[in-house]
Order: sequence, then C-alpha cells, then structure tokens
Amino acid sequence: MGIDSNDEELMLEYQRGNEEALEMLFLRYKKKIFNFAYRILANRADAEDVTSDIFLTLFSQKDRYQPEAKFSTWLYTMARNASLTKIRNKKNLFSLSFLGLGQEGKEESWDPPDSKPGPVQTLSRNEMGTHVRRAIHRLPRAQKEALILRAYEEMSYEEIRKILNCSLENVKVLIFRARKRLRKELAWVIQEECA
Amino acid sequence: MNTHEVMKQKISVYFDGETTPAEKKEVEEHLKACISCQNQLEAFKKISFSLESWHDADPSPDLDQKLAKIKNPEESKMKTKKTKWNHRAAAAVLAGLAAVVVFRHLGDRALEEPKPPAPITREVSVTEKAIAPAAAPSEVKPDRLFFAAEALKKSEPSAYQNFSVRREALLEFSFQAKEEEVFNTENYASIQESGFQEVLKHPLSTFSIDVDTASYSNVRRFLNQDQMPPKDAVRIEEMINYFTYDYPAPQGEEPFSITAEMSACPWNKEHELLLVGLRGKEFSKESLPESNLVFLIDVSGSMDEPGKLPLLQKAFQTMIQQLDQKQRVAIVTYAGASGLVLDSTPGTEKETLRGAIQDLTPGGATAGAEGIRLAYEIAQKHFISGGSNRVILATDGDFNVGVSSEGELVRLVEEKRASGVFLTVLGFGTGNYQDSKMEKLADKGNGNYFYIDSLSEARKVLVEELGSTLFTIAKDVKIQVEFNPGKVKAYRLVGYENRMLAAEDFNDDKKDAGEMGAGHTVTALYELVSADSKETFGKIDDLTYQESKIKASGDVATVKLRYKEPEGAESRLLAKTLTQEQAAQNPSGNLLWASAAAEFGMLLRGSEFKGSASYREVLNRSQTAKGQDPSGHRAEFIELVQKAQKLDISPSEGIQFKGSAE
Repeated sequence: MGIDSNDEELMLEYQRGNEEALEMLFLRYKKKIFNFAYRILANRADAEDVTSDIFLTLFSQKDRYQPEAKFSTWLYTMARNASLTKIRNKKNLFSLSFLGLGQEGKEESWDPPDSKPGPVQTLSRNEMGTHVRRAIHRLPRAQKEALILRAYEEMSYEEIRKILNCSLENVKVLIFRARKRLRKELAWVIQEECA
Repeated sequence: MNTHEVMKQKISVYFDGETTPAEKKEVEEHLKACISCQNQLEAFKKISFSLESWHDADPSPDLDQKLAKIKNPEESKMKTKKTKWNHRAAAAVLAGLAAVVVFRHLGDRALEEPKPPAPITREVSVTEKAIAPAAAPSEVKPDRLFFAAEALKKSEPSAYQNFSVRREALLEFSFQAKEEEVFNTENYASIQESGFQEVLKHPLSTFSIDVDTASYSNVRRFLNQDQMPPKDAVRIEEMINYFTYDYPAPQGEEPFSITAEMSACPWNKEHELLLVGLRGKEFSKESLPESNLVFLIDVSGSMDEPGKLPLLQKAFQTMIQQLDQKQRVAIVTYAGASGLVLDSTPGTEKETLRGAIQDLTPGGATAGAEGIRLAYEIAQKHFISGGSNRVILATDGDFNVGVSSEGELVRLVEEKRASGVFLTVLGFGTGNYQDSKMEKLADKGNGNYFYIDSLSEARKVLVEELGSTLFTIAKDVKIQVEFNPGKVKAYRLVGYENRMLAAEDFNDDKKDAGEMGAGHTVTALYELVSADSKETFGKIDDLTYQESKIKASGDVATVKLRYKEPEGAESRLLAKTLTQEQAAQNPSGNLLWASAAAEFGMLLRGSEFKGSASYREVLNRSQTAKGQDPSGHRAEFIELVQKAQKLDISPSEGIQFKGSAE
C-alpha cells in the first residue's frame, strides 16, 4: 500500500484492518466531499456535518463497501443521500443559506490569504464567483446535483447515473437543462450579448 | 422537444465528451452549418469557465476536530464537552472584541469616552460572567482580551493555544483599525429622527418622495466588510425603497397609482402601521422616449482604486449593451482639466462607446464644477424636447479644485436644473466617500442618487431598472397625509427626515421635491397610535380658547399627492382615502417586506422608536414576504440581516453569549 494505491485498494486494505489506509482516504476525500456537500447545501455547517457523518459511516461500517463498486461513486452516493436527508430535515426550519456569499476570505479567518492577483481581476473574479453560486443555488435540486458532479467533481455520465440512481438519458437531460438555465441567468456575467 | 432542442442537448453531451462516435460525427456536421448551435457550444464553454470562479472552500478546523474524534473516539469522548464549550467561549470573546474594535473605529456610536476597565473578576475559568462585559462596548479595552486569555490558559490549555494565535491576529487588526481611523474621512450628514406628532395639533404630514437607494448599498458595503455602518449612513426610507413593491399599475391618464394599507405595527404591539405606496407608469421597451445622456466621469487620482474607476468602466460597459438608436451618449471627464472625450454618439455605435470608456485613465486633481458645467453644456447642445435629457455623474465625490465649497456646487446644479436637464449621481468607492455632498447634489439637481458598490448593484441601477433610472415620469412629487383625529391620536413618519416639508409647501409649486422614474415604486410608512390609546404625547398644553371639533368619519387618513409633468410647471393633485374597514387583518407581502426593511434600518440606527424590534423578527418576516425574488435582491437582504445580527453588539441585540456557549 502506498501513495500510488488507488482508492479501491486502500479501502480493501482498510477492511483488512490497516488504519493507515483509512487515514489516506480521509486525506484524499475530506475536502472533496465537504465541497460537494457545501455546493449542494449552501451551508457550511451542514456540509461539515455531512462530511463527518460520511467518514463516520466509513469508519464504523467499513464492511458495507462492496469491492466491485468504484470507491468514489460509493462515497459520493452516500454524501448525496446524507445531503438530501439534511435538506429534508431542515425543510421546515429556516435555512441559514449563504451567509458568506462572496466574502469567504473574510468570514473564514482560518483560510490563509491566497497570493493576490491584480485589483481588477480580484473584483471581477470574486464577483463572478458570487453570481455563479447564486445561480447554481437557484437550480432545481436534481439539475444542481448533476451539474455539480459534472462540473466540479468531473464525473463521467455513467458515474453520475449511479450516484443519482437514474437513467443515462436522465443525466443528459439534467445537465443540459442546468446549462441552459445558467446560460440565461449568467448571460450578463459571461458577457454574452444575446442568450 | 423539437429537433433543434434534441441537437442542443447532444451538443451538451458532446461538450462533455460523452457522445458515441456516430453522434459525435452528427454533431460536428451540424455545427459546421448552424450558427445558433455554434453559439450554444461557445456559451457552454463560457459557462464552464465561469463555474471555475466558484473555488473550493477550505473546511474549518471544526471539521478536522470532528474527524479526529472519529479516528480516536476514546480519547476525545472524555474531553469533548469541555473543549467544545471553551473553544466556543473563546470564539465568542473574540467575536465580541472584533466587533468592539470595529465599533470603536467607527467612532460614531461610541460617543462616550471609554470608561476605565471594571475590576477584573477573579474567576479562573471563562464563565459567562467574565465574558459578559464584552457586550457593553464602552467599557471594553483590548486588555480585557488578555485577561480572558489568561483565564482560559489556566482552565483549558489546548483551547488557549488556539486562542492566543488568533489574539495576535486580532491585536494586529485593532492596530490597523486605529490607523485607519485617522484617515477615514467619509462624510455623512447627521439625521435627527422625527418623533410622534399629535394629530389634534398637527393633522398634516408633508414630505417629498425619495427614490434614492444609495444608503442601502452603502450599508451593504459596510456589512460585507464585517462592520456595522455608521448610524447616519442609514436612511430608513432608502432601505425601504431599495426594493420594488407589487402595487397595482396605474390606470388611465394618471402616471401613478396610490396604495394605502394598514395593519398592526410589528415592533410595537400598541401601534399600527400605515403604508403609503406609489407606483409610476411603465414604458414598454418600444415606447421609451428618446434620450440624450452625458456621462460625466471623474478620472481624478482618487478614482484610481479597484472599487472606483475599473468598476465604473465595467458598469458603463454593461449599460451600453442595453442602449439602441434612441439613446445618445456623450462622455465628459474631469480631473486636472475637464474635457470632452466623446461627443454625443448614438447608442448603436457600441464599439465607439466601449472604446472610449475603456481608454479612461485616472490622474490629476478633481475640478468637479468645471466638469459639471461642461457636461450640462453638452446636454443642452443636444437637447431632445420631450425626451430624457440627463447628466450621469460618476464620482467618489471628492471635489477639491475649483468650486469646492458644497454650497457653490449645489447652487451651480440648482441653476442648471432650470434648463430641463436631469442629474443622476452614481457614487463609487470607500474611505473618502462624500455621501452627504452627493445626496445633496442629486436632490438639488432634479436627480437621483445611487451608490455603486459592486457589479451587481451597477446591474440593478443601469440594466434592470434602467427605465426608472433614466426616464422621469413626474417631478416635484410631494405627499401630504391628513389624519383623522377621531381615529388616530398620533403618528410618526418612518424615515424621510431629510425630505420633510412644511404643510404649506405642499401647494407651493415653487418648492422643489423628488422625481419619480418610470415603473418606480415609492413607499412610506407611518407608525400610528390609535385614538383610543392611553399614551400621551403632549409637550404642548391643550389650547385654552379654541376647541377642535372632529367631524364624524370612518376614515383613518387621506393621502394627497402633487406632481408635475417632467417639463410642466403646474402641479396636479391626486388623492386616496383609507377607511377603518380597509385596515387589513393580514398584512400584504408589500407591508411585511417594507416593515422588515424599516425595522432593519431602525436596528442599524439604534432608533429610539425601535420598541421590540429584533433581527430575528426581521428575518422571520422577510423570509415570509420574500416571494419570487427573481433578481435575488431580497435573498441578499436576508443575508445582510444575518450579518448584522452577528456584528451588532448593542446591548439588547447581537451575539447571545448564552446561546453560543452551549
């Protein structure tokens, strides 16, 4: 086992009792799963809850993993389901939504500041980020999930199909519709003259 | 789905590299011939690129702690409760202090000199008692942080370590804040809130409408920088009027519809709230009048900051995209010397306009007056009778060469007002921002005033609401409300302090008042005390020789409105009466939202009339009244309230130490 081992090997290794393998999986997926949930839920605390829940499942029920499945697909499926549960449970509660929209660096003081790009660039890029977030946040849930998996997690349609538990045709439609809608909503951001 | 849609979907699949070889060939063949689909593919690429601007976030240290617990459940189980508590307590102290530093830096609120620190409690652990003084801003000194830290060190060394690192960061921050204090020369005119007026003695309330929204975007700027705005930067009527309300469209000839609605006052159970709403008629895109615009752009040295000239350029670029052959644009700059950059050019020549804006470079001192003179000159040269003639001034307001006194500038603008050219003032930038000067300029120049803090605000003012920004449908709009003393004992107009008029000004056509843009909505709220209330307001004794007779009537109030046509000299009158029966049991979304915006403003101002107002209430109500919110402005409002809730450390509000330490 080592740094080159793929996820599946590591998971099998961990099922055999090697704790170090788990450590490595934590490292590989902590930020990814957190960001996936954050984008779906639009709430940092919830995303962190989901992330720790997922890793707790991984830790406490390691035998649930079936070696024939791709590890990342399995993990994202759990993360997606946990996020859905979170949304359902919170439905009647007032969601805190995006407190830190566009102001991430300030709100989260533990983030070390990145190297500073030129002033004009910062402004437009930051602002663009804010609008992208808002636009994605407003997508219907299924479209949002499919698009996030494609755009940010760089999953294949096949993987997305498994995670969302739907048909391939469905994945195509969801991603297409999400893009169509974003094209409309972000037209002025991407400086498209006629959308 | 028609065949074209099928193809477009295939292009999406093609873009992801997920097509079968046959499909790939089909798409590529089609793309060669179809421009619309080429554009589609191009747009997908751009979207995909823009999505990258949403970067991955870093999870907080909390998550690492949680994960560590998963890996070592035994070890953490024993500590969990205590560590968590202290960690949060420390965070609470820090948050409190950070807010205090900001508070002190702003200076506006901390009018009293800080008192010497109270004797330090000798408790070893950080308890609520030790933290509590942080809530009273005037008593806190940075040293206090030190004592809190010492206490924490003894009770929980690991939390202390975390804490001390942040403390250093914080002290550095407080130092910076101090330094800034010296240089911050932002300028706000002070606002004296108007109190309750007794109806028997003052049955008429008269004011000019205010369609400006600058105060709201300025407040947003402060909150987004994690600072509470200075009290006087908060003009409540502008907080309310930042949003568009769903009033009925005007019918027939009249350019306005008037809405009156009454319901219980959310922040004072004993009182009621009256809403007066106007909505101006709208133009369809085809019927927009011709317009002659002169951009007057400040390119002085002080504009050389990312939030100023570069944002301004972007803002105007966005606006230019909306123009067509009916609009003409000229560009005048002013700095050391004023100059005409581009003479009046039709809106269709986008490349020329875009190039001219792109080439603006900052430098030199500001000679605002000379620039304003030149801009008005150009506007008059190309004057379109019956159209919209307007100078759009974009500046940080720091005029310091030439006519520099505020009075002289205002007089200059007032003088130009007679020419029929309107003025729009767009404020940019921070640090040296001259709010009071710009509001006055716009007010005197028959104009409107916006504060542009971001590209999205530029979009709101110059794209979404371009019609109401550019096209005035009525000028000198005044409102007078007459209350029926049989139903109302006293009233208080919420906000509009700078817009109050004397009762006799209402019928005086020489008195200048606010302008109304196409499709604009204007809202005013009155807090009412009902006639059967036991409350007393009498500062003046009852009259000895007169007795007022109250006519029996079921009316609560009559709203009267005077306005002039954009080029008219004589005013016209509209009126609407609200009866007791019309008072609503269930307030409309309009009233809910306006009252939430007002309540938020009162909290930010620390208003003496805020009663039971609370951020939680504002959140509840705005959440209910948010509605469709296609532009996202209302969602943003909710975010701002949440921010302010965290930042506000005034005694009755803000961080609840008890809650956060659980």
